[in-house]
Amino acid sequence: MFKITLRTFRKLSQLFFLALFFLLFRLTDYSGLDEIPYAVNIFFRWDPLVAATVLLSAKVLVSLLLPSLFVIALTMVFGRVFCGWICPMGTLLDGTGKVIHAPAQSGQSLRSVKYVLLGIILVSSLFGLQLVGYLDPFSLLVRGFTLAVDPVFNLLVTGFFDPLYRYAPQWLSNISEPVYGVLQDSVLPYKQTFFQLSTLSGCVLLAIFALEKLEKRFWCRNLCPLGALLAIFSRFSIFRRFPKQACKGCRDCAPNCRMNAFDSDGRQLRHEECTLCMDCVDDCVNQPSRFRFAVPNSPMQIDMSRRSFIGAGLAGITLPLLSKVDAAHTLPRPFLLRPPGAADGNEFFSRCVRCGECMKVCIQNALQPCFLESGYEGMFTPRLIPRLGYCEFNCTLCGQVCPTGAIGRLSQSEKHSFVIGRAVFDPARCLPFADQSPCIVCEEHCPTYDKAIKFQEVTVVNRQGKSVALKQPYIIPELCIGCGICENKCPLPGDSAVRVVRAGKQSEEDGFGY
Amino acid sequence: MDRRNFLKQVAVWSGGVLLVEPVFRITPDLLAAETVSPLLSVGVGKNYANLVASVLQPLGGMAAFVKPGDQVVIKPNIGWDRAPEQAANTHPEIVKAVAELAILAGAKKVLVFDRTCNEERRCYMNSGIKPALDSIGGRQIQCSYVDERKFVPVTIEKGRSINKWSFYKDALEADCYINIPVAKHHGLSRLTLGLKNTMGVIGGNRGKIHRNMGQNLADLNTVIRADLTIIDATRILLRNGPQGGSTRDVKVLDTIVASSDPVAADAYATTLFGLRPEEIDSTRAAAEMGLGEMRLNKIDIRMV
Repeated sequence: MFKITLRTFRKLSQLFFLALFFLLFRLTDYSGLDEIPYAVNIFFRWDPLVAATVLLSAKVLVSLLLPSLFVIALTMVFGRVFCGWICPMGTLLDGTGKVIHAPAQSGQSLRSVKYVLLGIILVSSLFGLQLVGYLDPFSLLVRGFTLAVDPVFNLLVTGFFDPLYRYAPQWLSNISEPVYGVLQDSVLPYKQTFFQLSTLSGCVLLAIFALEKLEKRFWCRNLCPLGALLAIFSRFSIFRRFPKQACKGCRDCAPNCRMNAFDSDGRQLRHEECTLCMDCVDDCVNQPSRFRFAVPNSPMQIDMSRRSFIGAGLAGITLPLLSKVDAAHTLPRPFLLRPPGAADGNEFFSRCVRCGECMKVCIQNALQPCFLESGYEGMFTPRLIPRLGYCEFNCTLCGQVCPTGAIGRLSQSEKHSFVIGRAVFDPARCLPFADQSPCIVCEEHCPTYDKAIKFQEVTVVNRQGKSVALKQPYIIPELCIGCGICENKCPLPGDSAVRVVRAGKQSEEDGFGY
Repeated sequence: MDRRNFLKQVAVWSGGVLLVEPVFRITPDLLAAETVSPLLSVGVGKNYANLVASVLQPLGGMAAFVKPGDQVVIKPNIGWDRAPEQAANTHPEIVKAVAELAILAGAKKVLVFDRTCNEERRCYMNSGIKPALDSIGGRQIQCSYVDERKFVPVTIEKGRSINKWSFYKDALEADCYINIPVAKHHGLSRLTLGLKNTMGVIGGNRGKIHRNMGQNLADLNTVIRADLTIIDATRILLRNGPQGGSTRDVKVLDTIVASSDPVAADAYATTLFGLRPEEIDSTRAAAEMGLGEMRLNKIDIRMV
């Protein structure tokens, strides 16, 4: 029989926040308005790990991230309820665990690893190296869903309905098409997207879920640096589990604990590991234990040795140094374009938490994750690849969803003059030069009010010896903002005959400004 | 089997399977037959809805084109993410007025679409066209985005420059095809008018069309011949076309030109820019192919 217990409320809360997560993910898109009316990035804005690393690395307090104080306050009162009741990663892992059953509790524990990782991330960020994107649960989740899960989901559904539309008899597609329409209006993304690093992102996410096969909530117990940060704050929390005095010490609760939070004698609870899932309270058969408010008395030490602590600190100092001598930073990268409104050079790197929100929202599928073009620590930072998608002139969505200000929020008129790069023609390929044939598709699409691409009317002798009148395009650099629509629409096969190269402040820092 | 039915059948059968490629055998004589003394109507007025109705009067009203039960395609220019006053897209009030008249004339369904240059949702929204059509309500008017699956390959038998391209199924199948371009400047073709607006119903890499644009456009128009062309010159873009942006480049004329002859409509609209019809390559190429009349003195022009 179904009985309402504390666990029921926990599950409802988990489902609510999971649904909220997916709803906001879906709403991270153009809605017909120039402004996105919802705080679609709220999961990042209340993430204290994101707030802490941005504060340390960019040395700036980002007001967008103030909601993270709420999560810290919540943790200081109730402990890690965030992990047990709110975090969508935790909920998805719980769900995975129901499908692939972990073996019984082993005595071994790797739980100190997460503190080491947290230490490395925090110390590195203090020295300007932003690593949080590799391990922050929401960065992993939103990025993984944006780059891999969502496109694959759409591919699967489309792959089912498309053949029905194309090959099935009319009566069948008369049924399937309305169903497809409903799906398109509800759960499917607006269109099929394509991303670099889709396989890598998908596999990283898959690996996190596969770890569930080793231990329940392996990720949360052992790896999650956000969990580690909340664990530290939870040590001061005043809402704690107490066995009733008459607890016989049957230890039934300990082996079932999803966080393996009980100590070896099975009675004492490591409070900072507990996510308040309430299983042990609900399952207690003898004399129910319960949670109540109390002043903590002599909490156990965080499960981290002094050696680990020092090791994490040293690694956190070493990694930024290694990154400083990475030649990827001195090599010119003329085609590495950043989104409109991106902060300059180092500030962009120290603010960007690789959350993937900008890539999710980009309506032209133009923003793509970097691989190793700007060093390993630049992996998953957004870049504009015009041949895949150009930057839409009137669109300012990426700056609106960026939770940390790595991509600044631009008004439409600021956006119209923000220099992403500058277009450069390759006359060896451009049709009116190389082939003596008319084209100027680039000029047609150039969106600046006074076109940055203009043309010269010339008469040339073509290969047949005939003299022909032609319009040959050229760039007015001061007018070009590098949106890349020219590169995108150039009708040549393969590479475009007009390419956008880095310009503006970023390229000045490279020392090879255009 | 009549022509429409034939078109419909081949389009359906070739839809997606890509095995059958229809061949269009529209002879120049057949096309020329309708253009002996083309009627063209021009109107000026501030109330665009009334203006559309009165401009169509000399042509016999919408009922001369749309028969009860027809599937009507209205093809405005929704190419750019621009506001109505920037004159890059067809004016939303005109699109709305034409759609309403088609419904009044008994159209079973009115399809409005364009393969846009900028992101389609932004274009449909910011052109004001989708909101205007949505405000009519009802299920007869469908203002939907282009579905890539509906482009079917077509062999253009009469094509002089291109003989194969993919076209949008709904456009091929329409009982009545109403072309409502906006008149504006264009860097390569000088102006974009009715014949050029046909580029919005073709698939593929449209940039390639630019290689021999005038003839290519005429070729495309042997496949899609508008039953009615209504050129929106309520405000025209004089420079920085085809998408403009600055209202300094826009001139308000409050004018609409309508004709069942697409070449005549383009020819007349050219004069609004102070140009002669033969200066526009596509007009000249189409006239040479017998698609319509471009000599202004051979066109029966009615001012309303």
